[in-house]
Amino acid sequence: MEDTSYNPFMMAQKQFDNAAELLELDQSTRDLLRFPLREYQFSIPIRMDDGQVKVFRGFRVQHNDARGPGKGGIRFHPQETINTVRALSMWMTWKCAVVDIPLGGAKGGVVCDPHDLSLLEQERLCRGWVRQLARNVGPLSDVPAPDVMTNSQHMLWMLDEYEAIHGAKYPGFITGKPVGMGGSLGRTEATGYGVMITVREAMKELGIDLSKTTASFQGFGNVSQFAIDLYQQMGGTPVCVSCWIQKEQKAYSFFKKDGFDLKQLLEITDHFGEIDKAKAQDLGFELLPAEAWLEQDVDLLVPAALENQITGDSVNKISQQVKIIAEGANGPTTPEADVVINERGIHVIPDFLANAGGVTCSYFEQVQCNQNYYWAKEETLGKLDQKMTSAYLDVSKFATKNKLYMRDAAYMISVDRVAKACEARGWV
Amino acid sequence: MLSPNLIPYRRNTNNPDNVIRIIGSGSIGGKAQGLVFLQHLLSSSEIFNSYPEIQVIVPSLVIIGTDVFDVFIENNDLQKYMDSDHTDDQIAHAFQQAELPFLILGDLRALVEEIRNPIAVRSSSLLEDATYEPFAGIYTTKMIPNRQFDPDFRFKKLSEAIKFVYASTFFKAAKSYRDATGHDHQEEKMALIIQHIHGTRHQARFYPNMAGVARSYNFYPVGRAKPEDGVVSLALGLGKTIVDGSLCWTYSPAHPRIAPPYGSINELLKNSQTEFWAVNMGTPLIYDPIQETEYLIKADLSTAERDGTLKEICSTYDPQSDRLQIGMAHPGPRALNFAPLLQLKKFSFNKIIKELVRICEEELENPVEIEFAMNFSPPSLGLLQVRPMVVSSDDIQVSEEDLLDQNALAASENALGNGLIDNIKDIVYVLPETFELEKTREIADELEQINQELVNKGSPYMLIVFGRLGSSDPWLGIPVNWGQISGTRVIIETYQAGLSADMSQGSHFFHNLTSLGVSYISLPKGGKRELDWDWLSEQKEIQRTSHLRHIELKSPLGIKIDGKSGKAIVLKSRGDND
Repeated sequence: MEDTSYNPFMMAQKQFDNAAELLELDQSTRDLLRFPLREYQFSIPIRMDDGQVKVFRGFRVQHNDARGPGKGGIRFHPQETINTVRALSMWMTWKCAVVDIPLGGAKGGVVCDPHDLSLLEQERLCRGWVRQLARNVGPLSDVPAPDVMTNSQHMLWMLDEYEAIHGAKYPGFITGKPVGMGGSLGRTEATGYGVMITVREAMKELGIDLSKTTASFQGFGNVSQFAIDLYQQMGGTPVCVSCWIQKEQKAYSFFKKDGFDLKQLLEITDHFGEIDKAKAQDLGFELLPAEAWLEQDVDLLVPAALENQITGDSVNKISQQVKIIAEGANGPTTPEADVVINERGIHVIPDFLANAGGVTCSYFEQVQCNQNYYWAKEETLGKLDQKMTSAYLDVSKFATKNKLYMRDAAYMISVDRVAKACEARGWV
Repeated sequence: MLSPNLIPYRRNTNNPDNVIRIIGSGSIGGKAQGLVFLQHLLSSSEIFNSYPEIQVIVPSLVIIGTDVFDVFIENNDLQKYMDSDHTDDQIAHAFQQAELPFLILGDLRALVEEIRNPIAVRSSSLLEDATYEPFAGIYTTKMIPNRQFDPDFRFKKLSEAIKFVYASTFFKAAKSYRDATGHDHQEEKMALIIQHIHGTRHQARFYPNMAGVARSYNFYPVGRAKPEDGVVSLALGLGKTIVDGSLCWTYSPAHPRIAPPYGSINELLKNSQTEFWAVNMGTPLIYDPIQETEYLIKADLSTAERDGTLKEICSTYDPQSDRLQIGMAHPGPRALNFAPLLQLKKFSFNKIIKELVRICEEELENPVEIEFAMNFSPPSLGLLQVRPMVVSSDDIQVSEEDLLDQNALAASENALGNGLIDNIKDIVYVLPETFELEKTREIADELEQINQELVNKGSPYMLIVFGRLGSSDPWLGIPVNWGQISGTRVIIETYQAGLSADMSQGSHFFHNLTSLGVSYISLPKGGKRELDWDWLSEQKEIQRTSHLRHIELKSPLGIKIDGKSGKAIVLKSRGDND
């Protein structure tokens, strides 16, 4: 079902147009990069547990593979649209380019709600998706990964189907597999740690002593938890984190003025990432409204939950003390809010740079799979640190040199790298 | 509070030569403090400009702060190994399985991409810094070639080396040392130094032309030399030769041309260095990350001659004249007596060393010990460490008449330490009748056991041994580490026929003993008095092993050591001393 009120693909194209303008790209390059190179839309008939056949709609969009095989997740979502997948595949192209890994951008999805499907039905759906695309994806062409409502089990089913079709072992076909079944150590930490690596470098550049800073986080999922973990390891003081309470269908901000200890908070958090409100209050947390995480007098804000969280309305609630916003989530800031943040001189680490730790580690996983040789965790995380640090420094140096907003600088670097790859191949 | 020479490690930047970089936070430990001091000295003093022919440097280094050690221990739950009975190998293995903190991984990876030289991962202990006590040789140093093409491999080797040096904090010798010095194990934290090895490559070997230790106080002055003149030990290759107490060349910087008092050329040849240590740049002999010498090799003088590294440091024996000819103009047995350097004074090496020791002593207001390595082509002196020496100052006098006391068990003119000791009733001695050099490892094991019993009982004891105690070479003496003799308060080293090694003087092992207040008495061959073996054999036996005898006296010994004259007397009973 097409959502007519918000078209993420148009937003992605607008962002690209802006970068293309700044880079003064020629028309043919713009025409090539404004749209995906290939799109696959297909039907997946699945025999349900009750014996009936249900047909699901599936997608795979390969936006650009000039720099290497496509890379991007597969989303299972009832509101999935081709435009969302197109936008996300384009963002994947820029994300891989900004951290300078040899991969292109792709994305896939199935219109479905896994909550309504049994595990067997989910397995058939995964295998059905691969049967439709087995000739168009693969370790050398397009490498899928988990995304919204898909996990490592889904990836294993897909891998198994792919290997059955091709009659050989191809662990590099898909990433996000469990450790021991072709997965990479360090993948769990990668996105959250990646966010904080960029924050660390930003603070060094801005001359801020990280150990004297405070931070507020939106969301308490995997990204946020590991971002807080590293922030605390580096000496920072987290004071606020917002968290979704499923039963109440609303979020709260958990605030502790003098800072909280992640380990203590995790002890009262269930495996869905939901904090026990009552126990938190016993530990001295104040329970504040959901959006309060944005309003705290802190040095660092880390939106690590959903898109469109810092809007034209809420942006003015950001404290004057805030010096850095590190976007752990994809697209947490609307374009209107972005203008205000830019004017206020807050240092933004844009989403596709800040949260690129995940795809970087996926790339490492694929490299390990292709070698069939797996690294120690410290090797993976050490390389992650290096990649993320270099990526951040590339963007920030470029921004400083050309007096650019960080988001624009990141876009220009990415688009330029992809455009040059297309040109070098003789495509444009 | 960082020194101006100490700056945080930054990737992707060109770092000036005169700074030391730190990864992580916390203290930097004693050894690193010494290096920061030396770096500051070099960049602020113009004294070394007077010797333009030799470049004096602190080889490039990066320090890892003690906080990283804390996080490593905590994250991997390694504290349990501190109070356990695990062997050193088991501890080292557990540390290898542990993961380094994420906080330093990126910087370490950047570092191995930046450095392609062989590197030494060295300990820099917090206690060493806080207490001014030398912990030399107590913790491990690991040297790695760091020349492999693949940075992943170099990173792995560096990680292994770091974990191994961290593990050495928990090793038995380190625990015993802390016990002996009255420190709680929890107090100790380890900073690390990752430093370029000062040397040059010769095919598959990387080593300096010469390594050395200079001390501003000489416990054993010979001939015209005075204690305050200090003493310098030199060896070809890596300094491990000196640290281990193996054969090296020792001289007084005030009289560099005077050789140690060997009775004959033959004796000199037998007592000078014939093997040296180098970093193995070729295929490692065996994969063993928990072995300090994994990437080290020993080579002999003929190898060094082929490498062209003997020219400035050796003489050649001329059988026709029965003399040593300086240099190597003729074929013949080479003797490492450093004559071209010290007698022909090709470089101002000795002057620089004297100057360096003087300045360090002034600045640190204490006698000092300095470790260095030198390359000759081009001439460069790399300073590796400076640390204070402990020299006792009590006014005790032992006269010539005292040495002739008929009630003496032993008397010596070669003693170290200072003061009166009157609380020792236990003596452990090596049985002269069963002593053989090939059994020294067994003796070390037996000694460890008796030591442990006496330590548990809280009884200090006197130890009597043959040869060079603490030598890593079992053919020179008993190869104990500090932990195996931690309860001893007085050591007597005596000679036996067939044992040609020097006594312990000059080795790090020895220096540690003296700084801990362990007195040391040497009874060399040809000394004025022989040890009274008969009297020892008559005393009450507590335990007898294959090679050792433990006796207990009715009343404590009376031990008097005159630090200034180096004279000492051990009376059989304290009563006679009253």
